[in-house]
Amino acid sequence: MAMVDQAPLLQVENLSFRYRDRPDYAIREITFNIKPGEVLLLAGPSGCGKTTLARCINGLIPRSYKGEMSGRVLLRGQDTAGMSLAQISQNVGTVLQDPERQILGTKVINEVAFGLENLGLPREEILARADAAMEHLGISGLHDRDTFNLSGGEKQKVALAGVLAMEPGLLLLDEPLASLDPASGLEALALIRNLADDGMAILIIEHRVEDVLKVSPDWGLFMMGGEIQYDGSAAGLAEAVDYREVKLPAQIVLERAAVDPSPVRLEPLLGKAKADSEPLVQFDHVSFSYEQGSEVLHDISLAINPGDVIAILGPNGAGKTTLVKQAIGLLKPKSGEVLVGGRDTHDLSVAEIASTLGYVFQSPSHMLFAPSVSAELAFGPNNLGHPPEEIKKEVQEAIDIMNLSGMEEDPPLALSFGQQKRVSIGAVLAMRSKILVMDEPTAGQDYKNYMDFMDSILLLPSFDAILFITHDIDLAVVYANRVIVIDHGRVVGDGRPQDVLSDYEILESSRLVPTSLLDVNLEMFDRTQCFMRAEALAHFPSNI
Amino acid sequence: MLVSWRYRERKSLIQAFDPSAWIIFYACFIVSTMFFWDLRVLFFFLAIALVVIFTSGIKWREMYRAWLFICGFVVFFSLLTFLTGRGGMEVYEQEHTITTLRAPFTLFKWQPTLDITVERALFALSQLVRVFSLASMTILIPYSINPAHYGITFHRLGLPDKIAYAMDLTMRFIPTFGRDFRLTMDAQRARGYEIEKLSGGIISQVRKLAPLIVPVTIHAIAGSEDIIDAMDLRGFGIGRRTWLVQLQYRMRDYVLMGLAALILIGSVIASMFGFGKFWVPEFLLHMVGG
Repeated sequence: MAMVDQAPLLQVENLSFRYRDRPDYAIREITFNIKPGEVLLLAGPSGCGKTTLARCINGLIPRSYKGEMSGRVLLRGQDTAGMSLAQISQNVGTVLQDPERQILGTKVINEVAFGLENLGLPREEILARADAAMEHLGISGLHDRDTFNLSGGEKQKVALAGVLAMEPGLLLLDEPLASLDPASGLEALALIRNLADDGMAILIIEHRVEDVLKVSPDWGLFMMGGEIQYDGSAAGLAEAVDYREVKLPAQIVLERAAVDPSPVRLEPLLGKAKADSEPLVQFDHVSFSYEQGSEVLHDISLAINPGDVIAILGPNGAGKTTLVKQAIGLLKPKSGEVLVGGRDTHDLSVAEIASTLGYVFQSPSHMLFAPSVSAELAFGPNNLGHPPEEIKKEVQEAIDIMNLSGMEEDPPLALSFGQQKRVSIGAVLAMRSKILVMDEPTAGQDYKNYMDFMDSILLLPSFDAILFITHDIDLAVVYANRVIVIDHGRVVGDGRPQDVLSDYEILESSRLVPTSLLDVNLEMFDRTQCFMRAEALAHFPSNI
Repeated sequence: MLVSWRYRERKSLIQAFDPSAWIIFYACFIVSTMFFWDLRVLFFFLAIALVVIFTSGIKWREMYRAWLFICGFVVFFSLLTFLTGRGGMEVYEQEHTITTLRAPFTLFKWQPTLDITVERALFALSQLVRVFSLASMTILIPYSINPAHYGITFHRLGLPDKIAYAMDLTMRFIPTFGRDFRLTMDAQRARGYEIEKLSGGIISQVRKLAPLIVPVTIHAIAGSEDIIDAMDLRGFGIGRRTWLVQLQYRMRDYVLMGLAALILIGSVIASMFGFGKFWVPEFLLHMVGG
């Protein structure tokens, strides 16, 4: 929908930037432009310089982050170097990856009005513009709600409304899909398309290329190592980049992988279930509610058996994390019981359970503290009283699996978010618990990184069962041998992936959206008899 | 992300007033209380605090933790003053012993002795009343002021935009810090960390608290950087800002502020004339034969 005769809204010319305390340039010689009504997709692995580029455009660089900058950023033909942040912010609206980190207001209306208040506009105009922005995004009903009680999808819409109310010409979206369940993601994408059709220029930074292609972006950029590697049509982007680096539609991967050598087939070691053995964890009619408020879990009964690789799917706020916290004893059921290794969690301390069940929290920043990565990884095994030689081995193995070698002596807190996430998973891996539980293990990770460590984790012989909470259906398709769908605190689906994920009614009611990989797998299921990744399907049946 | 205190709209004395007026009343109350050690005067302030508490409409279930904390805190410190006899040194010179307790053992030739005197007992009681009044008036505020009104409340007290908004963020930072602390505690317990098992000297105990203190601190710093970025990106601080929320003083607010001023001025004058110093009732002294 690009209008060829229009002047570009944003021009980036030969832009380079180096942070003051870093030796290397974060971005080098970047040049591109966006016209009103255009959608530009910027993809690339973590650490490629996407965030730095975004900061140069919205003015945080060089105003809040200092360093060495060369080249120019022009908004409507004017160099931003001479503008104040306030001037830029009226032209460029930024929605950060995590709306949690952006929302300031206590109530939704305060949040949406915040920018307009800062501009010192009259009250009537603020209210009119805030209401219009909320109306446009279909969130007028949230007007007086507390922002911290909103769901992930609602939070993002509120953050977006706060930016749209300022009527920017350019919208900068940093990984807008990262914290959303699939249905909310689709809604967000539809909104983005509408905004572009209304004439707004949009820059989407996202490594889930497959999803963003659904809004048919006008252009695609692919960045790596701070430089632009591809600049062309969005459709061409899918052809030009490595399908192992970014997530592409399954059909494209299928075609392209067919000409590459067949991937090594991974056989999860723990997949060999001992059918008659005792369950590792048993939920028996578990109900739970927080101190104030209604019931979050209703009468849940299920067992985690040796050999299970379980994906827990469900919408934002369905009770997935609450359910899993019962298993480690951080929460205890209000009625019913949870048995770990045959013992009631009411009688066990969290530390006792930790030797059986290792739990990786969603946010790494809530647990990292040690002066070095090695010390961080040794913390858990140390607490559990493992002997020193043993700990050394466990730490080394975790470093290898999580691709952390070379960073052993680095302070975890100085690493990037993606690296921190890997350290946090490594820290639990090193404990050698029998069951590994991960809450959103792939959040904030680029595609290649998370596929690599998921592969390695599944090949570990030391686990009896693995369980992960995710929004990503493909992760369930590729790795799980059992899928549990949670919705409104109840188990609405539990079984083999092919049985649960082929039931589109369950998927729809739980705000899950079938992916291209799921579709291809279901099509080929008569022949394959099991789900597999696109690269493997490309070589089916020769690699079996 | 900042979370809020458990504010709810309630039919209560505090919420019947404008929040700015209440903050002024609160400030005058605090300062005035500080002038006095006379139990009779302190009971006047305690009576105000009790009226506010019992009309606050906050259920015991909602804030029993806060009350337990305050009571524990107040009793602990009063007891400490009572046992050591320190703290009241400046307000009384003479002590009249009621009885003396001696421990039936000695430690390195020192026999622990506790002199129970009229002054110590009364001073501990005065301290208890004073601190309880101050603490309870303070703790009621976050439960009673709408978090969405923090900024404008401070702005109307004459603070500039930037400082008023900073106060707003600070008020909400405290419960956010609490939430982060709980999350970190959970994450470390899941790694086999047990705070109950802390042992060793003070330094090694503090060191063993690092798994809790470091993430919470770092999180707070990173969180405040996010907040600054988010504010910058939406043009905060470029000039006079409009405050969307509008509050209006009513008659009763002026009355409250007038009352606050009266109490404060009265307290200043009274204490200038030496009224309201530590008081020991005559009859108690007679009882111990002083």
